Amino acid sequence: MVKTYTEKIQIHKSNKLAGLYPSVKFWVVILYTICTFVLGTIHLTDIGLSLLLIPWFLVIPVLCIASGAFGKCFKALKAVALIALIILVVQSFLVPGGEVLVKFGFVKICEKGLKTAISLSFMIMDIAGIFVWLFQTTENKEIARALEESGMNYKAAYVFTSTLQMIDILSENSKTIMNAQKARGVETEGNMIVRAKAFFPSLVPLILGAVIGSEERVLTLEARGFSLQGEKTHLFNLERSGAEKAVLATAIVITILVIAGRIALWVL
Amino acid sequence: MGTIIECKNVTYFYPLTKEPALKDLNLKIEQGKFYGVVGENGAGKTTFCALLRGFVPSFYKGELQGEVLVEGKKTTEYGGELSAKIGYVFQNPFTQISGVKDTVFEEVAYGLENFGIPVEEIERRVVEVMKLTDIEALAMKSPFDLSGGQMQRVALASVIVLEPDILIIDEPTSQLDPEGTESVFAIIKALKEKQKTIILVEHKIDLIAEYADEVLVFKGGEIIAAGDKREILSDMSLLEQGAALPQVAILGSKLKERGLPIGQIPVTEKQALEVIAKALEERKKQ
Repeated sequence: MVKTYTEKIQIHKSNKLAGLYPSVKFWVVILYTICTFVLGTIHLTDIGLSLLLIPWFLVIPVLCIASGAFGKCFKALKAVALIALIILVVQSFLVPGGEVLVKFGFVKICEKGLKTAISLSFMIMDIAGIFVWLFQTTENKEIARALEESGMNYKAAYVFTSTLQMIDILSENSKTIMNAQKARGVETEGNMIVRAKAFFPSLVPLILGAVIGSEERVLTLEARGFSLQGEKTHLFNLERSGAEKAVLATAIVITILVIAGRIALWVL
Repeated sequence: MGTIIECKNVTYFYPLTKEPALKDLNLKIEQGKFYGVVGENGAGKTTFCALLRGFVPSFYKGELQGEVLVEGKKTTEYGGELSAKIGYVFQNPFTQISGVKDTVFEEVAYGLENFGIPVEEIERRVVEVMKLTDIEALAMKSPFDLSGGQMQRVALASVIVLEPDILIIDEPTSQLDPEGTESVFAIIKALKEKQKTIILVEHKIDLIAEYADEVLVFKGGEIIAAGDKREILSDMSLLEQGAALPQVAILGSKLKERGLPIGQIPVTEKQALEVIAKALEERKKQ
């Protein structure tokens, strides 16, 4: 039998982790983040580095591989790692205080600098990493649907989904505008100063265009019965992969263990 | 047939303007008829559409005098349910996308989801409309990856699928090539056959002459002429007012001036062929 379109737009995932119900994934993200903060308070070595954050990061590649989305996640994680690396370097060289550990000519790394650098950069790696996992394994419409299902106002859910879609559209538009400005003689390639000069002529039309477009967007939505009161139907339905309870229980148990461990370290 | 929309002494000012965008509008729109709206840029055609749809004054604010009745009820008293009665398609196809759907199929279904129609019925109605508008081949594509003409057809489909009794269509073909224009008009024609009331703003006067029943001519926020299309479009005095008339009507009237025995001035190609052939034959006889 020919598939109906309603069947075609459903998302079926064979992977149990990737196919988790979005709100369960969200709980995993929250619990992981809590653990990250708790682990960040455990200071190891003589100078008190939050070294536990580094092995804790390994959870993310493991999760991504288990979800069968490592390729997709890897690209995003690389970007996160770059930012974390910049923070690591800048913080460790710039923050003074405590004993001087290493000295290269006129720059030096101090105790306090290394401490904040490691805790800050790995905290960012961990938290951004888990969000990467969430967004790379979940389609936008799954998130939007889950938000609506959780009782969120449909208007707020609309804002959320359209924002996610808008990112792609705006980047497309910005390319068009860049090309148009290039045709008018605005230089968009070259060193930092040249690029900075091109910033306003390309950004202003982009933002103004988006604002003007939003007026017609409102009329479009209104014409489609957006503000109509009453029950709405949904063509797209969320599926459960069946592993929700097990995953949530595991996440909770790990979080409790981490917190218990932290308390035990205080008490002992 | 009965009156479905009525404007009574409507004058409208956009916010912060001193000149009215619409002046002393008195008009009755009859059910099941096809109205062509013409006039130069800035004549108030789009404002007129927004007025009938109730976006003036509820969305644009500003000052409205007089009243607009849709099926006997003021537009200001309707809430969201006016969207079920009046379909509204406007000029720019690129902004008429809901912005939350990944496929054309879902985009067209979006309005029906808002209306709370059961899923099986949505599927049936959307497929039907996609066939009518010839976009079924695009069903699984992203609405943002379409050409202007395809987007405009998707926008039309998204409104037609709601099955409103009244359709307001504001320059649907301004971005389209001749082929796209033809396909949009074929859809409008199909809707006319379904006894929908259609109000169409269009600059391509030959198409208005061919498809519309009645013509409204706007100038400076006022309706300067309204009535049967053959009567209005053959009125050469409108040319001086800046309105466009069909080429064949101008030809007809020029031929008449030169003494060709033309009875009624033609407004469509078909009429022109008949009328001129008849006139030539008559002249041969003389």
